[in-house]
Amino acid sequence: MSDPVRCRVGDTVRCGRALVVSVPVDPAALARAVRGERNSDARVAVVADEPGPAHEHVGCIRPAMGLRTQTALAAAARSRGIETRHDAALAGAREKLAALESPNETGTDPTDTGTADERAQYREAAAAAATETERLRETVAAARGRLQARREQGLDPTPAAEELAAAVERLSEAETEAAAARQRLDIVRERTRESRDAREQRFRLEERVANLERQARARRREQVHEEYLAALEVVPGVGDVAESSGDNVTDSREMEPVVQALAVARIAELSAPVVLACERFESVETAANWLDTAVIRLTSPL
Amino acid sequence: MAYSRHARESLRNVCRAHEGVVVRQSGRIALLEETEFGAFQALRLREKHGDDIQVERTEPFNEFAAVRSAVREAARVYEDRDTPAVPYERFAAGEELPDPESMRDAEL
Repeated sequence: MSDPVRCRVGDTVRCGRALVVSVPVDPAALARAVRGERNSDARVAVVADEPGPAHEHVGCIRPAMGLRTQTALAAAARSRGIETRHDAALAGAREKLAALESPNETGTDPTDTGTADERAQYREAAAAAATETERLRETVAAARGRLQARREQGLDPTPAAEELAAAVERLSEAETEAAAARQRLDIVRERTRESRDAREQRFRLEERVANLERQARARRREQVHEEYLAALEVVPGVGDVAESSGDNVTDSREMEPVVQALAVARIAELSAPVVLACERFESVETAANWLDTAVIRLTSPL
Repeated sequence: MAYSRHARESLRNVCRAHEGVVVRQSGRIALLEETEFGAFQALRLREKHGDDIQVERTEPFNEFAAVRSAVREAARVYEDRDTPAVPYERFAAGEELPDPESMRDAEL
């Protein structure tokens, strides 16, 4: 059984397991205060036990609420320590992933092979060197043409020959530079591949963790499903509606979020108080007993 | 790239048996080392599965050799935009940026 809750809203302080707060206040802000999260309303403060994993889903129950029922049910099962056969594999995969993400593992980050900017510079240098080589090849061809023409015209070929020799030399230098730039780029590519291997491994682990999490959630939900359906039937007000409509097989997924949230809260181990802003229970004590957890009931929710 | 379940199975077997030759593998696609052995494995698969195996040779992309600077600049400023929901076409309209149609028509 949880310790008594102490709830303050402005000057009003309430203490116990079944509290009523009549000061106008935002239920969500109060629920955040229960969880010790940063909240927008400075008047609100709650001292309570550490909330379980279901609290963020069903810790605040009010008429217009939304609920991701499947996620909430999995959290409710987790709050009760329900285990699945995927848990060990999941813990292992998470551990591996954490180790991969911690740079201390090898002293260096395996994904760090120079920045993307640096690699772009290598690509740019290789492209520029190739362009320059191409340009000089054309210069050499033109010089060769001129030399040929002078010879055919019986003119002195010396200046043209010198021009050609100079162009050939420049081309040779450019080709050497282009080859070097290509080689540097190849080396960088090779190193990048190693870092991609590391990324690939991390990505596969992330996928594995996500898959296992999905499977574990599904197994957990299965294990509380019957209980959840039973809880739905006894949510105050639900039986009457079913009887009066003569419809005894109501699809649980079509029930109001408030009803679903109450049923989830009933089967969850919440540990911390639920903020209630709905009119389903005769008294706050009834609510606390039905949910088997501390309750803060708001009579003037904002 | 495999185009049938059998071809995919063979591709996976090759990848499992010859890890050293595999650069990347995902689903029915594998990237093999640029070596004779890599080519040999690709050819084996094609021999076995015919048109259910497609073999292409990939090449590293160098944007400085392949595209004009306007295209590189367009990619840079578009990804740096303040308004995530704006499609490129609208983003480029009236700016000094290449329009998508002209880029579609320009082969590398």
